[in-house]
Amino acid sequence: MAAIVRLGSVCRRGVKPLFYQSTLLARPLVVPYNYQEQPYQLTAKIHASQALYADSASKAASLHWTAERVLSVLLLAMGPAAYFNPCPVVDYSLAAALTLHGHWGIGQVLTDYVHGDTKMKIASAGLFLLSTVTFAGLCYFNYNDVGICKAIALLWSK
Amino acid sequence: MALLLRTLARQGVCLSRPCFAQSVFYRHAAPMGTTAKDEMNKFWAKNSKLNRPMSPHLTIYKWSVPMVMSITFRGTGVGLSGAISAFALAALVLPESYPYYLDLIHSLSVGPYLIGLAKFGLAFPVSFHTYNGIRHLCWDLGKGFRIPEVYRTGYTVIGLSIITSLALAYL
Repeated sequence: MAAIVRLGSVCRRGVKPLFYQSTLLARPLVVPYNYQEQPYQLTAKIHASQALYADSASKAASLHWTAERVLSVLLLAMGPAAYFNPCPVVDYSLAAALTLHGHWGIGQVLTDYVHGDTKMKIASAGLFLLSTVTFAGLCYFNYNDVGICKAIALLWSK
Repeated sequence: MALLLRTLARQGVCLSRPCFAQSVFYRHAAPMGTTAKDEMNKFWAKNSKLNRPMSPHLTIYKWSVPMVMSITFRGTGVGLSGAISAFALAALVLPESYPYYLDLIHSLSVGPYLIGLAKFGLAFPVSFHTYNGIRHLCWDLGKGFRIPEVYRTGYTVIGLSIITSLALAYL
């Protein structure tokens, strides 16, 4: 099939496009033919080379992304931990993980929908305040009241 | 073979195929002066200054299962986060202890069906957000992007969520 495709393109467009075909690519049958794409491609290529020079840019965003996933996995593990081994350690870990996961999650929502520097600053400040109060409240609950694990158990027993 | 290809590319023979010659082509191109964030802010500022109307999107685009699941994932996330914050706030503000308020709600004797419904209402967002979260983590590992897989995993998440929520509600 691939051979037929190659022969076909030789007959239609001459030999040169053949050199750009499947030998070095993984998928031999994909042969887009679009000479109108030129202006778009030049821009795309400049961006591609931008990436080559960007090694000095901050890795903060990338590290944040990874930290979000790590925290998600940790939170997943805390579910069974809370069920099979309820204790203050799990209570406080759950309080921290839930608050941080929620904080980062809402942060992403704000990044998606809030535009402009000042609006973003106000929204982020509000979120930070909310998360702080949430964590404080959960810790207060863990210390002065029954604790998160016990609270869910009690709620479900009713 | 590759050498021949690169020689041809350097002579600028065929510009219509981006393919793998990208990096070779434009090593000499200068990087952009502004950040993506600056560009984006300029874009939004210009739009509001010129009072440009926004193109219709939610009202015209056909809803699909992945779309609905995605926004539900976000909705459950925001909702659960809000509920946790409300709970924490209540813990700080309300004078009595948690068992007291629990007994108070219980003394209203709402009836088993409504209690079951409430439990389902609590369990479903948690289940759905958890299972779809696992689906997201699989995507982050690069797995399951093909469209049939997206739909298959999507239906699995929905099914598992309903089953888990029902099971939890009947506990």
